[in-house]
Amino acid sequence: MGTEGHSVANQRVVENLASKLRRRQVVGSRETALETVLVLRQVVSKARFSNIDQLVEVIRSVGRKLVDAQPKEHTVGNTVRKVLHHIREEYHTATQGTVLASSSKNTLSISRFVLQGQPRKQNALLKTSADAKGTLKENDPDDPDSFARGLKPVLMEAIQDVLDELETVYDNVSKNAKDHIHSDEIILTIGKSATVEAFLKSAAHYRKFTVIVAETAPSYTGHDMAQSLSSAGISTVLVPDSSIYALMSRVNKVILGAHAILANGGMFAITGSLLAASAARAHSTPVVVCTGQFKLTPQWNLYHEYGALDFADPSSVLGFEEGDLVDKVDVVNPYYDYVRPEFVDAFITNDGDHPPSSVYRLMKEAYDDEDHEL
Amino acid sequence: MKSVFQNVTVNGEASGSQQPPKSQKTMTKAERRELQEKQRAAKAVSKTPGAPGGAANAKGGAKPSVPAPSTPTAKKVRRGTDAAMTKPAGAGKDVLSIVGEDTARGLRIFSHFGLPKPPGQAKGDIHPTIVRLGLQFSEFKISGANARCIATLTAFKTVIQDYVTPPNNTLSRHLMTHLSPQITYLVSARPMSVTMGNAIRQLKLEISGSDIDLPEQDAKDALCRKIDNYIRDRIIIADQVIQETAGKKIKDGNVIMTYARSSVVEKVLLRAHAEGKQFSVIVVDSRPMLEGKKLLAVLSSVGIPCTYLLLPAVGSIITEVSIVLVGAHSLHSNGAVFSRAGTALVAMMAKQHSVPVVVCCETYKFSDNVQLDSFIKNELAPEGDLFSSFPLTRPKNTLTLHGQANLEILNPLYDLTPPTSITAVVTEVGVIPPSSISSIPLALGRTTI
Repeated sequence: MGTEGHSVANQRVVENLASKLRRRQVVGSRETALETVLVLRQVVSKARFSNIDQLVEVIRSVGRKLVDAQPKEHTVGNTVRKVLHHIREEYHTATQGTVLASSSKNTLSISRFVLQGQPRKQNALLKTSADAKGTLKENDPDDPDSFARGLKPVLMEAIQDVLDELETVYDNVSKNAKDHIHSDEIILTIGKSATVEAFLKSAAHYRKFTVIVAETAPSYTGHDMAQSLSSAGISTVLVPDSSIYALMSRVNKVILGAHAILANGGMFAITGSLLAASAARAHSTPVVVCTGQFKLTPQWNLYHEYGALDFADPSSVLGFEEGDLVDKVDVVNPYYDYVRPEFVDAFITNDGDHPPSSVYRLMKEAYDDEDHEL
Repeated sequence: MKSVFQNVTVNGEASGSQQPPKSQKTMTKAERRELQEKQRAAKAVSKTPGAPGGAANAKGGAKPSVPAPSTPTAKKVRRGTDAAMTKPAGAGKDVLSIVGEDTARGLRIFSHFGLPKPPGQAKGDIHPTIVRLGLQFSEFKISGANARCIATLTAFKTVIQDYVTPPNNTLSRHLMTHLSPQITYLVSARPMSVTMGNAIRQLKLEISGSDIDLPEQDAKDALCRKIDNYIRDRIIIADQVIQETAGKKIKDGNVIMTYARSSVVEKVLLRAHAEGKQFSVIVVDSRPMLEGKKLLAVLSSVGIPCTYLLLPAVGSIITEVSIVLVGAHSLHSNGAVFSRAGTALVAMMAKQHSVPVVVCCETYKFSDNVQLDSFIKNELAPEGDLFSSFPLTRPKNTLTLHGQANLEILNPLYDLTPPTSITAVVTEVGVIPPSSISSIPLALGRTTI
């Protein structure tokens, strides 16, 4: 299999990222996704494999290591799954040509019908199949590297696609911003989500509206958001979280950011999102979530596990300046909220707008079933 | 004249780019007018956020344009105090009724909230106790509906004792006109609470009903006794009954959630603990006032196991809670509870998870009007970090944003919890559903509150 030299170099790169994740030096869905893609690109470029399963296993083990380092950063696992999905696609198109068109059309069955509705992305990659078709030989005893050599260029292209998608997330999400926001609307948002920020700033070019930003204690990221929006010329009102219900009757839309989107259409978002979404539901105000597709996670939070929320430093809630109180009380500071799919009206992603009920289809398209457990 | 100078010194940056202002005397009348116009225009342009710069001016907030003070005055009429309907000092006549069309709609809809202002110069003779009280109100040294009412009534006792009926006048007719400016002064420090309003209305009734033939000192003593009785019956004893009644709802092993700091809920919890019940308390707190910390200190000092968290975390912890106890600022006839901002969120989350929400409230907090949302009547916390509510883990200057273009900072202090989120209200006459509140005064044979 691969020589020790290469695997050591790979290991170092992977270990580096794993320790950064563990120590929280890399934080945030997009940053972690970008770092993961770069690591995977290095791993794939240096990997030696003579059949596809070996490559998949290498990537999977890398993925496992990274996910174990920081299970709460879901985009790490998502990126690994996405890369695996692209690799398998490339492999299929390279070795077998078009898989779908060859299926017999005489028998009509539901399973065939569903299969034919499979990811549209596959067609786009067909163009690379022409030169690689039929020249790949797996497990060649004389030239074990031929397989890898033949396949690697298309693999690198596929990984570059993933990287490009990550880098253009903000632009793509904000493409239709002006259709979602009308003039003189009052929009509520909480926390600082770069996606929502880009969305609002792009809409501000065409429309005049007001944004109410809730402070989002105790991280107070709302302050940064308010500052950034107001310096972009959007009229902003900064309020504490306690007035979300009070102001909701005047709010036209709630726009939130997400940390991760779960398989049932629910999401993890910064604490306070559940409050905002529930209050919006009570006032029948639409709730819209701006996210990139890289946040789609094929996982579930069926039992609303308390431990699934990440926890942050309690001293920002009750610090040591309170003296003897610190000993006597428990302080809870969850960083994320789980928001049920019933509270969200639409996900605006870089690949279009989707209701929570069709998130399962997006997952099917983006990832392969066998990758749900890395 | 004074306004010109004030503008020049305080809002130096508005007109500062030009040459240094000449003194008044050397300017001709035309130049003075031109300077005034320039400053007015400069202020209009730079005043879109309005609030921060406005409050700095001792003349009063930028936001309340002329229609705004009519809302608080209308409310005063409703509460029946016929205090002089003067607008709160310094509000209406400022330069900045120019909340023009370029102010975004979002900022206009908040313009009626009106910013808190420091109490103006005491016009006429305000009793020193009232001046002191007004200062305490405006600095939030005394906060909470019960505390403010008791403080107001106690201060009025002093005023009444010091009062001397002028010749050719009777106490029952003149005392109220004597008290009116004092009340106005208090209102200018902080908008009147429903409790204060109800108490003052009752006081008025007693004053106009006092016997004309009584010697003055006797009449004054009778009034003070009535005030004492009011405090004792409607607040102190009512609280004791509520402690008992609500205490019955607390069982061993319960996890009780409460929001911010209610004096009644504090008493309920302390009494239940003193009776030996084993329960734990979750205190939920939020800016702008962060009052929950004081409640936390009180509860943990007697040994009640407490958990403390901030409002956004409620969603994660609500599944552990057996009952939610909150206090109220006032109750309205449609069953809505007007209470500290954030109570509505806590009640809503609790209702979603089928946790009973119990409001502890005395009957004198009942207000006749129907309030539909939190916008009709609300109060903004003053500028700046009065309550030192930001954590020390972040540098303070990043957290107090002021005076930025396009950015307005609002800190509403109250919100309205709709009756659908409330399970029951505990009063001194029993446990009632929120919609039955309006029948209580009638059931007790009272014609007024």
